[in-house]
Amino acid sequence: MTSRRNRPRTARPSLALGGAVLLLSLAACSPTGSAASDQQNYETWNEVVAAADGQTVKLWMYGGDEQGNAYVNDVLVPAAAELGVTLEQVPIADTPDALNRILSEVQAGETDGEVDLVWVNGNNFGTGKEAGAWECGWTDLLPNMALTDRADPLLLNDFGTPVDGCEAPWHKAQFTFVYNSDTVTDVPASLDELLDWARANPGRFTYPAPPDFTGSVFVREVLYSVSGGYENVPLAFSQDDFDALTPALYDELTDLEPSLWRGGETYPQDSNELNQLFADGEVDFTMTYGPATLTELVANGTYPAGTKVLTLNEGTVGNASFLGLASTSGSKAGAMVVANLALSAEQQAAKAEPGVWGQFTVLSFDQLSDEQRALFEALPESPVVPSYDVLSKNANPELAAAWVSPIDESWRQLVLAQ
Amino acid sequence: MPGARTPGSRRWASLALVAPGVAIAAFVVVGGIGMSVVQSVGLLPLVGDAAFSLDAYVANGDELLTGTALSLGIATASTVLSCLIGLTAAIVITQGRRTGRIVAAISALTIPIPHLIGAAAVGLLLSDAGILPRILGIPGTEWPDFVGGSWWIAVIFEYTWKESAFVALVVAAVLSSRVARYDETAALLGASRARRLRHIVIPLARPAVIVSAIIIFVYTFGSYEVAWLLGRPYPEPLPVLAFRLFDSISLTSRPEAAAVAVITTMISLVVVALGMALLRRTPLWR
Repeated sequence: MTSRRNRPRTARPSLALGGAVLLLSLAACSPTGSAASDQQNYETWNEVVAAADGQTVKLWMYGGDEQGNAYVNDVLVPAAAELGVTLEQVPIADTPDALNRILSEVQAGETDGEVDLVWVNGNNFGTGKEAGAWECGWTDLLPNMALTDRADPLLLNDFGTPVDGCEAPWHKAQFTFVYNSDTVTDVPASLDELLDWARANPGRFTYPAPPDFTGSVFVREVLYSVSGGYENVPLAFSQDDFDALTPALYDELTDLEPSLWRGGETYPQDSNELNQLFADGEVDFTMTYGPATLTELVANGTYPAGTKVLTLNEGTVGNASFLGLASTSGSKAGAMVVANLALSAEQQAAKAEPGVWGQFTVLSFDQLSDEQRALFEALPESPVVPSYDVLSKNANPELAAAWVSPIDESWRQLVLAQ
Repeated sequence: MPGARTPGSRRWASLALVAPGVAIAAFVVVGGIGMSVVQSVGLLPLVGDAAFSLDAYVANGDELLTGTALSLGIATASTVLSCLIGLTAAIVITQGRRTGRIVAAISALTIPIPHLIGAAAVGLLLSDAGILPRILGIPGTEWPDFVGGSWWIAVIFEYTWKESAFVALVVAAVLSSRVARYDETAALLGASRARRLRHIVIPLARPAVIVSAIIIFVYTFGSYEVAWLLGRPYPEPLPVLAFRLFDSISLTSRPEAAAVAVITTMISLVVVALGMALLRRTPLWR
């Protein structure tokens, strides 16, 4: 009976909140923070590599993204085989499936579980960490972690949960506004100007109704904007901050409503519906967490030829997604080898190619050798999407997950239902 | 062969034969509804102590009321339209001419299409960026809000299309087995077409129409995917509201989702009871 529509191709691995409630309940009854590891502890990378030889690693990841599946099976799996590790992708419908499995195994005391690696971030990571689903403190062993910026806030905190070496970075994502430059001539430079543009051009802008993920992020962006920047919104949730900050948000969105598509009488139900409106020229803006797909959508004529990415002075929300290592895995050494491989400059550059998967790298160019940097510089430049540096300028942090439900719920009551 | 079996033992044998089916149905129905009721009154919380409370029924009071009104409206409109169109189609089918066979074929073809596919097709056809406005050359902004509009027209259209085919086949089956003899007799006695329709066809079809109407009403009242795909985010029909609450991250919303489900079930049961009472009053029921 579920009729969730297709997700954007650059999937957010774990941002679908469905099932998380169940996870929380499981989390409540399992030993907090105890990684059920009876494996040997590896001291050096060489020990890991030696132990990994011949192991089979199961990577559980969202399987609804053909490009992602193709990258893993055609690029990552052969590279892992060269290192003596058999990598198998386990495609799943939703990341909580993997987490549920690990949590059941934790409860059952399993030490050679079915799950080794999981593509994860956000809520699923935080819930899993609380419940002891992840092996922690292992990413320092990975040689390729040196290629990342150790002070990068996106890699230190995952939606407000400290990463603590419980997951190795894999991709970055950036929330992006997209516009049709053929119809939008006075291009807004900030979110405030974007909303003014919407008021000046009634019916040409809208956003998906939260709790749709993209619409929900948009509302949080507006919260940052009306609060005078993300610096003024504490990332951790408190009812006092909510009461103090959100009235301005809902006033702004209520005031905007008559200028929206269909007079704000209704909203697109999800981001696909908004994308459809943009593709049909009914609105002049859309928004996405996966800007890498835009190049292809313009090339194949789905989106208008004038499609451009809108960069805002104050920046937009960015996040990273990771490979989590299950605490119940029986192939931890192999999983570490795969996580390290996935972090290599070669793999990150291959994955960043728009024709392959188009996922932004987590590596820092300052840490790369000239040769490694050349791999990224050789990537084709997109006529539509600027490079990640430009996109992620002034990237805003994600609010902690506890903010999300109250903001979405109040939006329904104060904006949608009025 | 134990030819000397008593009627009593035969009854036990037949009971034993249906027992597995009844057990499964009871497990699903009683178990599912029972769990929903228990959850909705706070006796099965995800966190904290179990304590009886009706908070979940009050928490979304306004949305529950608008949702109930909306769901009743959609289900009533779909049921009435399906029965009218279906009955007409059944009468055409039982006339036995070529048009009848065509209508029967179209109805039979409609039945196996899942509602989900039907909803997607209706969306592609009727939305303001759909095929129909494009063929007609009408810009999306001037196209009426069939999909996602305030009258839920695309939703009712989808239900009516699928369910009228269902009514047509069920009623045609009943009519073809019973009507012909009476109809011919009346015609020989000089009854006009209109009189035969009024005094023979419609009374004979009535029980089948009532049963179909009950099924359609309960189905459309509790169906999620069509209303979600072709509807709008507010107000929400009860099943959409229930599923959104069930899927929500907040720990308190599961009992609220269960409360919506329980109310949906109770309204459906009341409708079934009313329908059965109506059915018992039709002269041909026995």
